[in-house]
Amino acid sequence: MTAPVKGWLRSGNHWQGAITLPVLLVVAFLVLLPVVFLLEESLNTGDPMAFPPQQYGLANYAAMLEEDLQVIVNTVVIAVTATMMAVVIGFTLAWILTRTNVPGRDRLERLMQLPYYMTPLVGALAWAVLASPKSGFFNQMWRWAGGEGDLFNIYSMFGIAWIMALFEGTVAFVMISAAMKSMDPALEESARVIGASKLRTALTVTLPLVMPGVLGATLFVFAEMLGSFAAALVIGIPARVYVITTAIWDSTLSYPPAYGRASAMGLALFVVMFAMLSGYRWMVARGSFATITGKAFRPRTMDMGRLAWPLFAVCALYIVLAVALPLAALLLTSLERFATALLSQAQFTLANYEMALALGPVRTALANSLLLGLGVATVGVLVMALLVWIIYRSEMVGRGAVEYLVMFPQAVPRLVFGLALLWAWLNMPIPIYGTLWLLALAYFTVMLPIGVRTLAGVVLQVDKSLEECARVCGAGWLYQLRTISLPLLKPGVIAAWLLIFMASVRELGVSVFLMGPNAKVIAPSIVGAFASSGIELTAAMALIQTFTVVVALMILFRLTRGMTRELT
Amino acid sequence: MSDSASRIVVSDLSIRYGEVTAVNGVSFEVGRGEHVTLLGPSGCGKTTTLRAIAGLEQPAIGTISIDGEVMYDAIERRNVPTEHRGVSMVFQSYAVWPHMTVLGNVAYGLRVRKLASSELSAKVERALDLVQMRHLADRPASKLSGGQQQRVALARAIAFSPTVVLFDEPLSNLDAKLRAEMRLELRELQRQLGITSVYVTHDQEEALAISDRVIVMNVGVIEQIGTPEQIYNRPRNRFVADFVGSANLIRGRVGKPLANGGTIEFMADGGHVLRATAPHALRGGETEVAVRTAYIEIGKTADANQVPGTVRRRMFHGDFVQYVIDCPLGQLIVRRPPTNLVAEGEDIELSFSPEHCILLEG
Repeated sequence: MTAPVKGWLRSGNHWQGAITLPVLLVVAFLVLLPVVFLLEESLNTGDPMAFPPQQYGLANYAAMLEEDLQVIVNTVVIAVTATMMAVVIGFTLAWILTRTNVPGRDRLERLMQLPYYMTPLVGALAWAVLASPKSGFFNQMWRWAGGEGDLFNIYSMFGIAWIMALFEGTVAFVMISAAMKSMDPALEESARVIGASKLRTALTVTLPLVMPGVLGATLFVFAEMLGSFAAALVIGIPARVYVITTAIWDSTLSYPPAYGRASAMGLALFVVMFAMLSGYRWMVARGSFATITGKAFRPRTMDMGRLAWPLFAVCALYIVLAVALPLAALLLTSLERFATALLSQAQFTLANYEMALALGPVRTALANSLLLGLGVATVGVLVMALLVWIIYRSEMVGRGAVEYLVMFPQAVPRLVFGLALLWAWLNMPIPIYGTLWLLALAYFTVMLPIGVRTLAGVVLQVDKSLEECARVCGAGWLYQLRTISLPLLKPGVIAAWLLIFMASVRELGVSVFLMGPNAKVIAPSIVGAFASSGIELTAAMALIQTFTVVVALMILFRLTRGMTRELT
Repeated sequence: MSDSASRIVVSDLSIRYGEVTAVNGVSFEVGRGEHVTLLGPSGCGKTTTLRAIAGLEQPAIGTISIDGEVMYDAIERRNVPTEHRGVSMVFQSYAVWPHMTVLGNVAYGLRVRKLASSELSAKVERALDLVQMRHLADRPASKLSGGQQQRVALARAIAFSPTVVLFDEPLSNLDAKLRAEMRLELRELQRQLGITSVYVTHDQEEALAISDRVIVMNVGVIEQIGTPEQIYNRPRNRFVADFVGSANLIRGRVGKPLANGGTIEFMADGGHVLRATAPHALRGGETEVAVRTAYIEIGKTADANQVPGTVRRRMFHGDFVQYVIDCPLGQLIVRRPPTNLVAEGEDIELSFSPEHCILLEG
């Protein structure tokens, strides 16, 4: 028996407070301060570059309604169109993959994640190659086959919405299929047993139970679409169709930069999105999801008979449109001297890749992105692990506040957060604007929610008694951490690392504002190349970026599959 | 009782979670080598009390001492951390670490104590032998069945020769058959090693079977402390009579005391007069007696309470037959061995002795 030392007191609480308070302050500094700067600037009616502002007023907000009415209309029309498409696609695919006996269901379900990892930027570039007027591959083939004029024009409001739906709407599929999966099949079976027909059951039981999930997904996706940037940037600017995100971006490019205008638009967008997400959360919290029992069921699937193959074709078509065709088009383009779908006219070359890897700015951008990905993921995971421990494992005062702060960047559109960071750090006495340090700090801040959530998922899976047992066995806190907690958390930590790495390499919304001439990163450079150089070089760069992400993704998949196998 | 006679002394323990008081002024002692069970329905504070002994919960009021050493004292603000209390614990979820082998799990407490490797492997082998798991020593813990995990958790808890082992519903996740087996083994192990143990369960059968003493808890307070026989034969109040075993409760009022040793007269509400036993000094507010369903016999017995009745229902349970009987005392449940069955509708005579007719505290 070990001799207990006299007077242990409740000393624990003191040093715990000494940790939480600084952590709370640092996180608040990173997360909230930029938004405060943004708010102040949005009220600046004097010289937009002056800090602190010399005059305050609401002129910037008023200007939005007077001069940018078209932008607001465009934003709403595109977001509504994209949301409708995303929800219809998501609902159809979710229903096919969870409720029918479509062949190859498990594999198809895994493929459904791919469009999300393709990124909307790469998707937009690919569809620019596929469906631009005249030079687009579809239109080339249409004329080659004897057609007249253009079959498709991606440079339109519908085109932007289409790309947004394909590459950012996957979340609708994920949410709706989750709602369908979490429904206890007994709910439907009991209706059937009582004597309801298949159709009646579908209309009176299934649909009402799934509906809240669909509505929630719609609200969530709509909020996302309002803040969507990449497709609107790549397609909208050449098409001269401006939405609110591109309008914000555009006003910072004018001379002098209209930061006040941009801030007002950004905040307005933030408020609208925040309201929508709150509405979504309220719907979930209200428990209208009677279907959600926390358990995942494998719902009884319907035997579709001969219809199974057409349903398979629907899923396959989605994969073709969102993954196969875009990648094939980019690959073909990147290997050609001049982009063409007609292989007889193609001149194949590796020059684009050579150029992409040899061109100074491109090479440094790629290297910087990789460096940032490695650095932010490594340091970020350590800090986030500490945060997760504070939020979910300690009994410290104020951990609720820490959790709220950490999740806050999720509610701010990425682009708006970028603008806020730009303005904050332009005026902060710490001279890191235009350096990789600021980008690293910004990446860390915007990736707090995804990193903390991934890590928390693993932490919560690890039963508390596993740690308590170590203490009972006589292990001190550090020994327990080293021998029990960390080894158990390892797979989750690696997964979080990879997710942050991928998100860093593809980051666009924050990077466009914070990139300096000496601190270029890859995603904005791809956009720049699309605007100034040929599509062939851009395609090569986009593929190099995609390739990097895919490698990380493959490791992640292998790892998570290994994890699930180990746990079962 | 002085501290040296008791291994664990808990006094005036109260534990709060925010506004909720989970444990409210609980005091008890556990002697050396004694096996004490905390029994109660879920949410009665039994697990919280156990965790407080281990140092995993921080009480608001009270003291906890182990081996005469104060482990927790709210007034002195003394709180010895879990790892320095020298107790061991078996968790409800087993808490077998999935990233280690069976051996790694069992050796953990010994490695923490920096034992020499020869001594370590001897102790690990002994612990594994005790639970018959030696042949699986090198198996990854994630590849064990529920029963095997249970054994590993047990071996781990006793490997470093603790004097006190705490059990938090260790058998609740096992199926009925395995549970009965493990119950026997646990009792055997506990006798063999002479460890002091505090055991938490909501299963009254388990509590009666394996304990030296049982502490019945409800909504954060102790209802009764006693040997299994005392708890079963002399339930103190309605809760204990109802929660432990099965009993008939008969309402009425106390009559005059009868001369011989605590026997009293009890006027049941139907007008029938019973002879009952009052285990406690009469206070005047008592309105109920309890009669165990197994202690009522069918047929006349000399010197017992006699009541006529009619069999309303008969249910065959295998190990016993349960009768529902209409009689002047109300509806009584009677459990008899499955021999000499009585048919439904038959008129019979019930008899139960005064010492099985227990006056409950009001």
